[in-house]
Amino acid sequence: MNALTQPVVARLSLASSQHDLHHARSLFDSTVGFVRQQASVSKDPFVISRFGDVHIRIEVAAALLERAEALLDAEQDATEIRVAIAESDLASAEALATASNAEFELTGRRTALSGSLHDPLRWKRHLIGNFRLNGIHPSAQEAV
Amino acid sequence: MTASAQPPRTAHVIRSDAEAIAVAHKLAARFAVEASVRDSERRLPVAELDEFSASGLWGITVPKAYGGAGVSYVTVAEVIKIISAADSSLGQIPQNHLGVLDILVQTATHEQKRYYFDKVLRGYRFGNAFSESKSKNAGAFETRIRFDADTAQIDGEKFYCTGALFAHIVPAVAVNEQNQAFIAFIERDNPGLSVIDSWDGFGQRTTASGGVTLSAVKVPLSAVIPAHKAFDEPTADGPISQIIQAAVDTGIAVGALEDTKRYARESRPWIDSGQDHGWQDPFSIAAIGDLEWRVHGTEAILRKAGQAIDAALLDANEDTVAHASVVVAQAKVLSAEIALLASSKLFELAGTRSVLGKYNLDRHWRNARTHTLHDPARWKFHLIGNHLLNGVNPARHAWN
Repeated sequence: MNALTQPVVARLSLASSQHDLHHARSLFDSTVGFVRQQASVSKDPFVISRFGDVHIRIEVAAALLERAEALLDAEQDATEIRVAIAESDLASAEALATASNAEFELTGRRTALSGSLHDPLRWKRHLIGNFRLNGIHPSAQEAV
Repeated sequence: MTASAQPPRTAHVIRSDAEAIAVAHKLAARFAVEASVRDSERRLPVAELDEFSASGLWGITVPKAYGGAGVSYVTVAEVIKIISAADSSLGQIPQNHLGVLDILVQTATHEQKRYYFDKVLRGYRFGNAFSESKSKNAGAFETRIRFDADTAQIDGEKFYCTGALFAHIVPAVAVNEQNQAFIAFIERDNPGLSVIDSWDGFGQRTTASGGVTLSAVKVPLSAVIPAHKAFDEPTADGPISQIIQAAVDTGIAVGALEDTKRYARESRPWIDSGQDHGWQDPFSIAAIGDLEWRVHGTEAILRKAGQAIDAALLDANEDTVAHASVVVAQAKVLSAEIALLASSKLFELAGTRSVLGKYNLDRHWRNARTHTLHDPARWKFHLIGNHLLNGVNPARHAWN
């Protein structure tokens, strides 16, 4: 295995995005199930809107994951794929955070989530921005 | 400006979805050149609109059976987005024209369709005299229609009449004694129809979204369609009106992000950053990355909204129409959010010099703030949540 290419292959994975999106959906479903058992709460306009918000974040994450998958399947330019995966990762992470906050607010419970020190989201924003603003490819950034 | 009742030249007829997108890109590049000047001088885009409708883009949803391309709503949204990224006033002006074409599809007789679709393919523009600023709410109408043996008479007062000033035919909504809504197609030079250039909003400045008065306007019965039927039964008409709104706002976001990058590249480095150039600032770079994924996410949902509308047009029932309303509501929320965010972040990332009057970059925010008020995003969260949590289908009207 080539030490230089191996991490790049790892980064071309949609696993993180898929994991977060799946997790966000299951939190959404369990929170809906919880709220449905309390008739008065499920008619509260602010509770109703909260689910609308979580659903939007989940759908946009799903749409960006599909987009990244399509680029990966079509074997598009490696940089475009990297950027699309980073975008998908950010959307999925936001969906998960939104679902988790709604879970806590509406059920009083908080399902534990994993942290992101290892593969941090903040540097994914930077990766996207540096390519779109400055034309600097992700591989060039990593070399530095 | 006095509008004539006929277009100055014959329109090109677009044949496919791909051609529509290509024509939109070409036109957008031309419209972008003077968009800022038109905004700052509030110079109405009269010549640009003639070019726009002569391009054939105002006829792309005319069904194939009536000589049009019958393009998908994925394409319609893409076209409106592309034009709006260049000039969102020009992107907004056809919104009611396109809405009216669908109401014709849904509720007109074969003869009426043949008559009006033929005019549209030749370059005729529909305006609108729908909304009323003095009625109880957006869906309430005080404008009346009275039917005689062979004519109908319309009396009332309208506002937010985007496109009416530039139109050859002004479709007006009026209700009968039973409060059922009809649309009367009124020729621009019909006696009793006055279009008033009274729009002085701080955004979407060149849409001429002002007033229309209708006093004893008479039209033949053949110029009236039973528009209420588009909502009595489930049809995609509400989602179609809405996707065009979302496409305008997505276009504003795309245009604002382009200018953000352009001006952020030229910004000075902040003193604490230790960099030689503003574009090397890690926080600015990450902020651009954040805007990028949000714009792309919005575009992806706008596409899905178009697909949901196409499915509802193919097989209109309670479920397909409700689904289209829900997905279009997602696009509406996301496009409103990103249009406002990108047009505000622009200044943060480009720095103080970007607020100078000579750049007129505030037009993106003014346009975003103004156009996203069309119908409130806060009720879209509720629409989506109520569908998912309580199984309630969205109410059917032109704003869902």
